[in-house]
Amino acid sequence: MEIELQEIRDFIAAIPPFDRLPKNVLDALTSALSIQYVRRGKTIPMEKDSAPTLHILRQGAISLYSGKDNLMGMLGEGDVCTSFCAAEVMPDFYVKATEDTLLYSIPCDKLSRLVEDDQSVLHFIRHSAAQRLKEAVSNMQEQSSSNLLHTYAGDICRGELITASPDTSIRDGARLMSEHGVSSLILLDGNEPVGLVTDRDIRKRCVAVGLAISSPISKIMTRKITSLNASESLFDALLVMTREQVHHLPVFDDSGLKGIITTTDIMRQEGLSAVHLTGAIRKAPSLEALVEASKMLPRIQLQLTNMGADLRHVGFAVTAVTGAITRRLIELAEADLGPAPVPYAWIAAGSQARWEQTSHSDQDNGLIISDKMQPGDDEWFESLARFVNNGLDACGYVYCPGDVMASNPKWRQPVSVWQGYFEQWIEQPEPMALMLSSIFFDLRVIHGKEKLLKKIRKNTLQKAPRNQLFLAHMTRNALTHRTPLGFFRDFVLVHDGQHDDTLDLKHSGLVPIIDMARIYALAEGLHEIGTEDRLRAAAGTPSLSKGGSANLLDAFEFISNLRLEHQAAQIREGESPDNFMSPKQLSKLEREHLKDAFKVVQTMQAILEMRYHTDRI
Amino acid sequence: MLNWLFNLETKRKRLLDKAPAGPLRNYLESPFPDKNSSIYGTALLALDFETSGLDANKDHLLSVGYIELRQNRIILDTAHHQIIHSTRDISGENISIHRITHDQAAQGLALAKVVESILQQLQGKVLLAHHAAVEIGFLQQACKTLYGMAPVFPAIDTMQLARRRLERQQQPCKANQLRLFNLRKQYGLPAYQAHNALMDAIATAELFLAQLAHSNYRKPPPLKNFLLHP
Repeated sequence: MEIELQEIRDFIAAIPPFDRLPKNVLDALTSALSIQYVRRGKTIPMEKDSAPTLHILRQGAISLYSGKDNLMGMLGEGDVCTSFCAAEVMPDFYVKATEDTLLYSIPCDKLSRLVEDDQSVLHFIRHSAAQRLKEAVSNMQEQSSSNLLHTYAGDICRGELITASPDTSIRDGARLMSEHGVSSLILLDGNEPVGLVTDRDIRKRCVAVGLAISSPISKIMTRKITSLNASESLFDALLVMTREQVHHLPVFDDSGLKGIITTTDIMRQEGLSAVHLTGAIRKAPSLEALVEASKMLPRIQLQLTNMGADLRHVGFAVTAVTGAITRRLIELAEADLGPAPVPYAWIAAGSQARWEQTSHSDQDNGLIISDKMQPGDDEWFESLARFVNNGLDACGYVYCPGDVMASNPKWRQPVSVWQGYFEQWIEQPEPMALMLSSIFFDLRVIHGKEKLLKKIRKNTLQKAPRNQLFLAHMTRNALTHRTPLGFFRDFVLVHDGQHDDTLDLKHSGLVPIIDMARIYALAEGLHEIGTEDRLRAAAGTPSLSKGGSANLLDAFEFISNLRLEHQAAQIREGESPDNFMSPKQLSKLEREHLKDAFKVVQTMQAILEMRYHTDRI
Repeated sequence: MLNWLFNLETKRKRLLDKAPAGPLRNYLESPFPDKNSSIYGTALLALDFETSGLDANKDHLLSVGYIELRQNRIILDTAHHQIIHSTRDISGENISIHRITHDQAAQGLALAKVVESILQQLQGKVLLAHHAAVEIGFLQQACKTLYGMAPVFPAIDTMQLARRRLERQQQPCKANQLRLFNLRKQYGLPAYQAHNALMDAIATAELFLAQLAHSNYRKPPPLKNFLLHP
């Protein structure tokens, strides 16, 4: 390559997957390009019967269509068009320039020869969206395995900082430590940390040598403080502790002393914090204490994400905390209201039932009451429902916008009424009614008699598979949530060429998969509730091929992890976590992987659509 | 205009009779592309010189960049860039534009070698340049120095095409409007940072493809519609 072409090479070098190619291959690739200018409105390729070719957009925009005016995607500057890499392009597929466009083009056989040592580029050219996604997910799993490297000192030392003046007596210092249940004390002269005292110092430098406990604590403090920066990883902390033979490390950030990290903190990093929190919730004496405890939830989510935990772990930990809060609220209510008049089950629907909650979702719940219920008993249950619903709201689980809560009399009914609901939903399906009730097909008992739900579920799982119209309606409802087509410049490209500024990772990414998994489970009479469990259990059944299941699992994992990372970043910034991501926050590679995930979902939705002939209902 | 085109091919034959054996004669031996054949089928060579000034009689060549166009595509593996040997003083002002230093110029390839390869590349092709009079003028001057006579070159001038287009639309031509950078901007072409002879040749080639795409021909237009009027 002539060095004067560097500007063209640099442009290519910034685009995945070419960004990982060594310089000599990039040079050869640049030399192998040809440049074309396509007028707005013209189709690509301009010549008929062209050999398989890869196009890179240098300037302008192109739109991909399947059939007449069915927009499949749009590409802009720096995007790569692989649509013409296959020898056989779909018969009704065409590409049109929507702006005047400058293309860098290379025949695929030439490109393959140039990059023969680079699997990722070869995969990019030859593989389907599903295959590329699989690779991305397995890379992600590899990267996230070293947890101590990805947890930062500043993230786990946010607890209350216990300090004292160096003049404090050893006795008072020890008392302060016991009161707060800490094993170290930082001694401040004004704002300046001048020393550190630990349990061990009290033992070795005071008690063992017979020093009076009325002596100033400065006599036994360690003056040389080894500290850590908040941005250093726990792995760094471990190295420093090992090297300096210390068990306590004060952590500083730009604004000063932030907290302390202990060896125990590091050992606890394997998810124990969620366990500790549920312990604290179980003992919470009041609603106020529960509200306090629930504030820990985002931090736990952050820690777990930093450790490289995936949705299974985070979802399990967060949902476990929600369950503990719910149960404690019920206990507090029962303590006040007296025992329940008849047996009952407090049920959770939706993400809580599926163990897929992240920090502070909406609440979806209900009450199944024994058929032995007498007129007048409902008063007790209504009081219970109000207390728990209000309590959950105070703890950050906001009221369900669709009023799916036990305080709504419709969802506070005896077994026989619930039984009737399900029978009606399945046997006389109405689209609108089903739309509202679909989350009741994900149901779990949080507190009370499991038996009450068991009977209803058994009945449902027997009837659902046999009722095609019900499944067809469920499918049609499920298909109202569509993934976007992809990205165009810094916008999310939805259908009909419409642009969105942000990507809703939940409704345009996860919900379509969750909905499909529910349908597979109902069609096959599977009792699994979690999305991943359902997809695994349905694999190889008439409803879902093994390949389809694997592809959807990859897509679900990829989008879930992206959401966890997004929420972790928000929590770190002190914002409340949400599901909305700007395309600007996504790297080029993440956009490519997301596009592949969307494609997998679209393919599976199309199969479902055909299976239940949703166009005919 | 047709008369002139006719003359171009006649001139080539007449010059061929007088041309000394060597690069110039080889160049003149190949017939010029048929003026009635499709522009898409015509091989073009986009060419750009960096020079010490605009006067072919006084100034000299510093570097050359060229690249081929075939079937409406710019073929990057035909790209070539060469610094031309010079020991003459290059004014400081120009160095800031083309960034060719005295040392680089002193290590460049001899003019004779460079012109020989340009003539070889141009055989059977049409020269494409922005403000082509400069490229043609310098090339003819170099040939006079080297071979004692100057040949003719069939050429397309993207600047002239732009001016003709404005005239057809009866629009006034504003100052600077016909500069390569501004015309490219008008067609939505990227602003290249580098200013070397090769990138300028590519920039010119892209501009030509854009002009062609915007000319809305129903069938492939013949070469003669684009050729430079002297």
